[in-house]
Amino acid sequence: MKEIKFEHVKKSYGDTEVVKDLNFTIKEGERLILLGPSGCGKSTILRMIAGLEDITAGNLFMNGQKVNDIPSGKRNVSMVFQNYALYPHMTVKQNIIYGLKVKKVDKEEIEKRLEFVLEMLQLKGYEDRLPKQLSGGQRQRVALARATVKRSDFFLLDEPLSNLDAQLRVSARKELKKIHEMLGQTIVYVTHDQIEAMTFADRIVLMYNGELQMIDTPENVYHRPANVFTAKFIGSPPTNILEMELGDGSVKIGKQSFLLNDLWKQQISQIGAEELLFGIRPEHTELSAIPLPNGLRGQVKYVENQGDNYGVYLDVDGQELIAMSENGNWHDGQDAYVRPFMEKFHFFFKNTEKNIGYPQQMKVVEELHYLEEGKVTV
Amino acid sequence: MRISRHAETIWHFIFMVTVLVMVFPIIYAFGMSFKPLEDAYNNVLNILPINASLENYRTLFASLPVLKITMNTFVVASVATVFKLVTSFLAAYAFVYFKFKGKEVIYFLLIGTIFIPFTVTMIPNYLIISEIGMLDSVWGVILPQLADAVGIFLIHQAMKNIPGSLIEVARLDNMGHGRIMKDIVLPLVRPAVTSVGIWFFIGTWNEFVWPVLVLKTTENYTLPLALQMFISSEGGTNFTVAMAVSVITMIIPLILYLSFQKYIIGTFTSSGIK
Repeated sequence: MKEIKFEHVKKSYGDTEVVKDLNFTIKEGERLILLGPSGCGKSTILRMIAGLEDITAGNLFMNGQKVNDIPSGKRNVSMVFQNYALYPHMTVKQNIIYGLKVKKVDKEEIEKRLEFVLEMLQLKGYEDRLPKQLSGGQRQRVALARATVKRSDFFLLDEPLSNLDAQLRVSARKELKKIHEMLGQTIVYVTHDQIEAMTFADRIVLMYNGELQMIDTPENVYHRPANVFTAKFIGSPPTNILEMELGDGSVKIGKQSFLLNDLWKQQISQIGAEELLFGIRPEHTELSAIPLPNGLRGQVKYVENQGDNYGVYLDVDGQELIAMSENGNWHDGQDAYVRPFMEKFHFFFKNTEKNIGYPQQMKVVEELHYLEEGKVTV
Repeated sequence: MRISRHAETIWHFIFMVTVLVMVFPIIYAFGMSFKPLEDAYNNVLNILPINASLENYRTLFASLPVLKITMNTFVVASVATVFKLVTSFLAAYAFVYFKFKGKEVIYFLLIGTIFIPFTVTMIPNYLIISEIGMLDSVWGVILPQLADAVGIFLIHQAMKNIPGSLIEVARLDNMGHGRIMKDIVLPLVRPAVTSVGIWFFIGTWNEFVWPVLVLKTTENYTLPLALQMFISSEGGTNFTVAMAVSVITMIIPLILYLSFQKYIIGTFTSSGIK
């Protein structure tokens, strides 16, 4: 079982707790992404798996075996570092096969594996170059090649693409997926880039301040955020979180309100909470210059060009709300009307910032094309 | 940086004068070693000899076992250098890559020894060497010089520049410290080790005070001691023969410098490992 299990794992440096009580399992053959802002503890988790950091408390299991005290070299992991960590005095070939030589792998086998990775990662013809004679993308591929030839059960990647430009990242992600499909290792991948996480992960672990915020599929992390932090961290521009009051079957924001459908009314009444926050993603709104039924009115504060569309920042009774618009013909101070799509609402408890949950009938994966399908409940 | 033509000329002039000032005594000594003694005392500053002869070298070889003395100097300098390098490298490695209690304090104390003047340790060292019966032996000269805090400090600095991830990759490959040292760390700090080695070698090669305390018989002398035989109250002042000793003293370090020039210059110009 190539799985990794965290059992109440903690990590502190002196009095500073950088990872707090971690409990989850990384499944065999899974691509798990550790996502979060800088300093959230994600790299520390990866380094604990690698055995490069000690565990302060709790237990870590790999392949069903407790590994707290097992040194790095015996954990059957390979790792790609953010700075690639290629030996500057060794050629590409030497860099790739050095680990195998240390392991005393048979010469023929080394050659075979070398051929395979050189071919797969398009490094043929570069075998005798030194790392300093390679471009960033090539160095990154050498680092990948070196980790791949080991054929370890666990493949750890610490922000492996962050030094590459946008185009190279896309192709490197493809290569990584290809490697994974061929070799089927358990991959743990650290990044702060949500697009990387969304496109590559089977599951995402979202970390903040050393605490696990959510662990789920990319779809759920996006559509069913467990808390306010998750909602705001995933997506750009971030999810709007607005202070609200519950009216009689309606949501009151500032002096305005809109009605809830029966599903939401039922959901909220089941919870019985009074103090809630309202969340809606900018892309899940309709923006118009003329009044919309069941919408909110705001004034345009700022327009951000995002290429294919525009982020329009509105002031809605003193709170900021961002909506997306296909046209950029908005000017500051102009009145604009926003209607949030009801199927895409999120509600959070105000005190804990946790999600209150969703009506059962609202499925995550099937994209509800709100306006086309005429499911509007006004 | 752009330098104007005018400034460039001035800088070149300054460099030329500096080089001349530094090289002049060497050329002077070289020339003098081929002059008869009476020429050395006349007032004409002829750098190169007019009546060149090998007379001074003949006198020198006749009065002293020059080969033996050169050999002694070489043994002292190379054994001390090798030991200092090995101990410095190992200690630096431990300070950089091992975690142990009191590491900072020990390192601080060790580096502090750099500031203890030689004259403070000279007498205790002398007494110890005499106690263990190593007086008048090159090994007595070598023994207190087997380790050096300056070497630890300089190699430690070079090792700290190696990105930690390189060592971590090695650890993930289940490499032991011996292998990490040999295959990863040593090749990366080689320029520093080489120049520290040259520094140690030259220092020991030129050493005078400590050998003069330990060595008694001419047979066991090192070259600087041979030199003082011709320019001191006991040996008289035979400058031209003394210059012949100087030339011999210079040769080996010069060969060494020329062969390792690449590393030495590399150490001063490199800005760490990228």
